[in-house]
This record gives sequence, C-alpha cells and structure tokens, in this order.
Amino acid sequence: MNAILSGLFVGVLFGFALQRGRFCMNSAFRDIILGKDFTLFKALSVAILVEMIGFSILAFTGTVTLAPKPLMWGANIVGGLVFGFGMVLAGGCASGITYRVGEGMMGALMAVLGFGLSALMAATGILNPILKSLQNTKIMTADDKPLTLANMAGVDLKIAMLVLAILIIVIWAVLALRNKSTEKSYGEKAKSLGEAIFKKGWKWFPTGIVVGLIGMLSFPLSAAAGRNYPLGITGGWVNIFQSLIKWQAVVEEKVKVTALSWEGAEVIGIVLGALVAALIAREFAIRAPEPKILLQTFVGGLLMGFGAMVSGGCNIGHILSGVPQLSIGSIVGGLSIILGGWTMAYFMFIRPMNA
Amino acid sequence: MTDQIIPTKTIDERGKICPYPDVDTMTTLKKMKKGEILEVLVDYPLSVERIPRSAQKSGHKVLKVQQVDGPNHSILIEVLGLK
Repeated sequence: MNAILSGLFVGVLFGFALQRGRFCMNSAFRDIILGKDFTLFKALSVAILVEMIGFSILAFTGTVTLAPKPLMWGANIVGGLVFGFGMVLAGGCASGITYRVGEGMMGALMAVLGFGLSALMAATGILNPILKSLQNTKIMTADDKPLTLANMAGVDLKIAMLVLAILIIVIWAVLALRNKSTEKSYGEKAKSLGEAIFKKGWKWFPTGIVVGLIGMLSFPLSAAAGRNYPLGITGGWVNIFQSLIKWQAVVEEKVKVTALSWEGAEVIGIVLGALVAALIAREFAIRAPEPKILLQTFVGGLLMGFGAMVSGGCNIGHILSGVPQLSIGSIVGGLSIILGGWTMAYFMFIRPMNA
Repeated sequence: MTDQIIPTKTIDERGKICPYPDVDTMTTLKKMKKGEILEVLVDYPLSVERIPRSAQKSGHKVLKVQQVDGPNHSILIEVLGLK
C-alpha cells in the first residue's frame, strides 16, 4: 500500500508539472527543426541538469545507489528510432500522451491504448522474440557494470555527473548573457503568484526546475518501494494493463508482478495530476481529432510501446532519468529517439510545408 | 468573437493534435497578403503559447491572444511580411 501511495504522490506532482509546463519531449525536439523553437528543449535541459546535480547529491549522501541502464546498442538504436517515429505520429512522447489523457484529449488516449498493447506484445507476447534478439547486443564494462560516460573516462560516476552539470551550466550561462534575447509573452499577465501557478502556463525555466526536482524526489521514493530508478512511464502502463487483465507473466522478475506497482501508481498519478491542473486552469475539455488522426495516434502508440520496451526505456526512462546518470545506453537510446522523431517530422511536416 | 478586430480569414484548429494547429497556421499565413488578419481558433495549450512565438519570428504581428471558453483560444495575427 505504501508503494502505491508513494508512486501516486510522485505521479500527481509530475502530472501537474507536465500539464502546467506543457512539457512534452516530442515537441521539445521536433520544434527545433520545425520552427527553430528551443523553448521546451531548454526546459528539458534544465530538468536534466537539476537531476545531474540532484542525483549526485543523493548518491554522495548515500540516499540512493545510482542505477544507469546498460548499453544494448541494437535495442537502444532500433527501439529508439521506432519510438521516435511513433511519437511524432502520436503527437506526443510517452509522458506527453499520458498527461494529455488527463487533459481530456482522446487522441492521447488512443495513443496510450496502442502503447499498452504493443508494449505487452513486446514484453510477453508475440513480439518478444524480436525484443530478445535486439537486446542480445549488451555491452558491459570489464567488471560487468553498465557503461557510462564516467567509467569510460575512468571517473567516479557521481563526481562526473556533478562536474559535467556545473560545466554545462557555466557554459550555458555565459552564452545566455552574451546573447540576450527578447522573448515576448502573449496574453494577459498573471496578477498573482497563485494565478501564475494555477491559471497560466509555466515558463521554461521554472518548468525545468520543478520537473528536475520531482525527478530527484522520485529516485529515493521509488527505491524504497523496490524499484531503484527515478521517473518512468513505460513500465507503469505495462503494469497497469497487466494488473487490470490479471495476467501472470513469467518472463523476468519485473514483469511477473500483476499487482499495481510503484510505477503503475505513478502513471495513474500523472493522469490525475494533469487532470487537476487542467481543471483548475480551465483547460480541461474532452476533445478529439478527426477519425483519420485517431487512427494515426493509435498507430503512433503501437510504435512507441514496441520501441520503448525494446529499447529498455522511453523518453522518460532514458532521456529524463537515464541521461543524467550518464548511461551510454540511455544516451544512445535518447539520440535514436531524437533522430527517429526528426526523420518522421521531416517527412510529415517539413517537406510538405516547403513543397 | 473579439471586440473590434475583424479577421480576413479564420481557421478552426480546435481538436487537432500537435503540431497541426501550428503547421496549419504557418501554411495559411504564407498564403495571405500583407495587412490581412488571420484568426486561429485553437484549444491546445502548447499551441496557444507557441503559435504567437512562431508568428512573431516569421515577422508577423500578434494582435491578440484571447481565452474564449475553457481551453478554447482565439489568436489574431496581422500578416506583415516575410521572415
């Protein structure tokens, strides 16, 4: 029971922040090439930097044991690319489609259904043989540890995370001060802090800070429930569907559980947190795109679920939670997601726009 | 929908998924003449914030962003010229 409340708590905070900050990694990467808009990418970068420092502090104080995912280059690349294709079709990454269910968006719900279906097919169903062969490309260190930027350089991980984060922050701050940009905001200005938090969309910097802090909070809480990792999404949806279908899966320890897990509770929390945020801001409405697009988002979800299971992580598992721990597998997976997304976005939007 | 500004053209992007509201807006703006006013009806929070940004980047003038009802917003853009 404790694990579920803990997961729900983190999920609700996360979902609230995702909705308020419109934090979607699909947009974060796609907007770079679609409109040269770096807003969400900056928010993501802030979150990652906060987590690099935060996880490092947690490791130094012995609060958590860092847990970078291992490199499975075939799985990371193929899974990441397929996930990237899927998220552009679905109009959202794994966390994006999750929180937008809470906003009442039916396109997101269709994507989630596709996501859960194919993730299950890959985890324990007919697509599992493909997953197994792709994941048979694991490369560990000489002493059988997951490859990280740190151990490749012969440096202690938590030190590397801290130093790298500070280095990046300094470089970014210097560049930012040099190129002072005039970013105009539109609409009416918030008249109070309460209004700024609950009624207006959050700016990229506070969004990144809050998401990063929630990521920091999630690590020890999830570890206490037996899952030694920060925020995640894919495992959560798989767990929810398996718990609902009451399925006894006998593949790996993780997947054998049919009771609601910390991550499953977290994902439910994300939907609830986003729902509450949307209701307060009067941004909730049941809305749906045309049937053709509903099919598109469903197919997008199918690709995402498969890609995430194969790769061992989605945009949250790899990019938000894995990159701060300098996992090579997460870096490769994350870059593949970006590449897959850019490719799909190019053919779907950029080429037609310039035709 | 708004008090004085009469748009030359209105596109209804409500219900559409990311990034169609943004893409449709940019494509429509490209086909319009200088001085004309485009109204975009949108209910996707990210696009409500992003469309004004990209319109301004392309050299157009954002006249108004108005919350009409719940998540539904009206964005008024004056076509000014090329990036």
